[in-house]
Amino acid sequence: MDSLNRRMGALSAIPMGVVLLLAFIFPLGVVAGFSIMPPNVFDLGHLPDFSAYGQVIEQGYWTSLAWSLGLAAASTLLLFIICWPLAFGMAKVFNRFTLVMVLAVVITLFVSENIRLFGWVLTLMKGGLIDGYLKAWFGLELSGALYNAPVIVLGLVYVYLPFMLFPLAQGIAMVPDDARQAAMDLGASRWRVFIEIDLPLASPGILVGSLISFVLAAGALAESKLLGGQEVIVIADDIESAFSYGQNWPLGSALAMVLILIVGALAIFGLSRIDLDRIMGRAG
Amino acid sequence: MRLTRRQFTVGTASGAGLLALGPMGRLAHAARNDELNILCWEGYNTDQVLGPFRSDHPGARVRAESGTSDPDMINKLRAGEVRVWDLINVNQPWARDQLYPEGLIRPLDKERFMPYFDNMLPEFSNPPYPLSFAENGDLLGMPQRYGPFSFVVNTDRISRETAENEGWNLFLDPAMQGRYGVLTYQNWNIIHMCLTAGLDPFAPVAGADMEQFEKVAGQIFGNARLLAGDLVQMNLALINGEIDAYFTGGTYTASPARLDGATNIRAITPQSGPVDGKGGVVWVELTSVVNNPDPSSLAPEFLEFVQRPDICHAVAFSEGTYNPVAQMGDDAVMARFSARELDAIQYDSLDEEMSRSLDYQVVPSYNELNTAYSAAKRG
Repeated sequence: MDSLNRRMGALSAIPMGVVLLLAFIFPLGVVAGFSIMPPNVFDLGHLPDFSAYGQVIEQGYWTSLAWSLGLAAASTLLLFIICWPLAFGMAKVFNRFTLVMVLAVVITLFVSENIRLFGWVLTLMKGGLIDGYLKAWFGLELSGALYNAPVIVLGLVYVYLPFMLFPLAQGIAMVPDDARQAAMDLGASRWRVFIEIDLPLASPGILVGSLISFVLAAGALAESKLLGGQEVIVIADDIESAFSYGQNWPLGSALAMVLILIVGALAIFGLSRIDLDRIMGRAG
Repeated sequence: MRLTRRQFTVGTASGAGLLALGPMGRLAHAARNDELNILCWEGYNTDQVLGPFRSDHPGARVRAESGTSDPDMINKLRAGEVRVWDLINVNQPWARDQLYPEGLIRPLDKERFMPYFDNMLPEFSNPPYPLSFAENGDLLGMPQRYGPFSFVVNTDRISRETAENEGWNLFLDPAMQGRYGVLTYQNWNIIHMCLTAGLDPFAPVAGADMEQFEKVAGQIFGNARLLAGDLVQMNLALINGEIDAYFTGGTYTASPARLDGATNIRAITPQSGPVDGKGGVVWVELTSVVNNPDPSSLAPEFLEFVQRPDICHAVAFSEGTYNPVAQMGDDAVMARFSARELDAIQYDSLDEEMSRSLDYQVVPSYNELNTAYSAAKRG
């Protein structure tokens, strides 16, 4: 019976396996294939050539990659700091009010990211919402709020907040109240409880939230384009340019592969350290 | 969880059912005389244009999708979507230099379409617009929207006269540091940076010329207040005083602001420049029939339909951006434009701006220039 069950399990997995193969592995394979094609070709029928990777290194694309990873790391850290109290409230304090918070955060996702970011442009630009009021009320001028690196981080934090908040709340919900109370009874300070109880026990949620936010932010483009005025050129910008204006699919593919490898390695490393079944509430 | 034989059978059956739907879905699209798919710049995909065509062909499924750049749209065809699209609308150099040689478009019936050139403005009718034709004389696409494309200023801050006389040197003036933006239409930026560097973008660029290009590109990016790929964002920055000019722009980008009343936003064509004394560039869209293995008979019909005076006006003034059309040589078309609309597209100076502009062509050293451009943009 056990072997039949295993066989049926494997057979049932075939449709999903085929979907994943076609929709996930195959496109990645095509990108990987193009990344080892000679420059400026539009099909895979050529001898492999690693010149696109050479271009990635020689032409200084690492600066864009460093910016993307740096901005993603900064925004992930900020997201963690901002979301922790909120997530803690949602998991332990707010009770029914949690639903209101969830709705408030989820509803923002109904509006396109570009429109929300353009809202920030209208708010922060010269003569915009904030500048206009500052001028009218205090005679002050807000200059230089847009088109710099910090405002890109603001955009990333704003857009990816739900992706950190919900896994974090899920993680914090896994921390047993008994453990916290026991620690406090034994004289632990709030800080000590945070460091020794909350953080380790909520770590699966922290890891998942950080991974999702980081991966999304590393590939983000709209924030640097709309808010940053391309003051900083991120790797996604270079990938888009290579595929479109550059008409150099191999270079675009090589840039994409470098990003995929870095982000993929981080994701595999992170996921290997947590038990996803536990955070999904399917323990046992 | 234990999986029973019954659960497995149910799962397999529903999977098979879904698969069976696939071929039926295809049957619905099989008849190609009642379907038309258009890949175009924004405007042709609006209700003002497609609505009347759909009324004329009530049984047909007419769909149009707008692209964000010429290369993006061409990439779709290269990636195998010649089977999907029936018409492609891109700027003038691509049809003759890339789409036709690569077998992605097919020639038009000259007997049917040549007469339409007679009603066009003199620039397009006498002789018929040369870039519409392949070197062997085949007619590859019909011109419609066009516009001079160089740069845009706020005339309250920089007068039209100063801007035209200074031309591209305006952006090298130290006084302009931090006072302009770059609209990152990359292929246009490259052409305009060549002109700023005193080079001919449509001739090979190498050696000392390439160094000059790198220097100018570095300077233009380095001194820019902001970079953006969105014309609305650029116009907004111009209107609210964040910048006084933007590098790369024309009637296409300035007209939406002008129609909204900001007539101090003006597209500028330099008085002089390095190529035959010209410093401006003009784009002309050509609409071509895609070499679809299963061609739609509606494709040439649509090309004729957009020559109708009411549709010419709709194409010129559809949502998004507003542009002159080659068919304005016909009085019946011209009569449809109001004075305000003509002012938005700077019709008063269109002739002289065209005479100071070069045709947008394929840039022979594009790959090398693009590499230098990308490096300069990263800073």
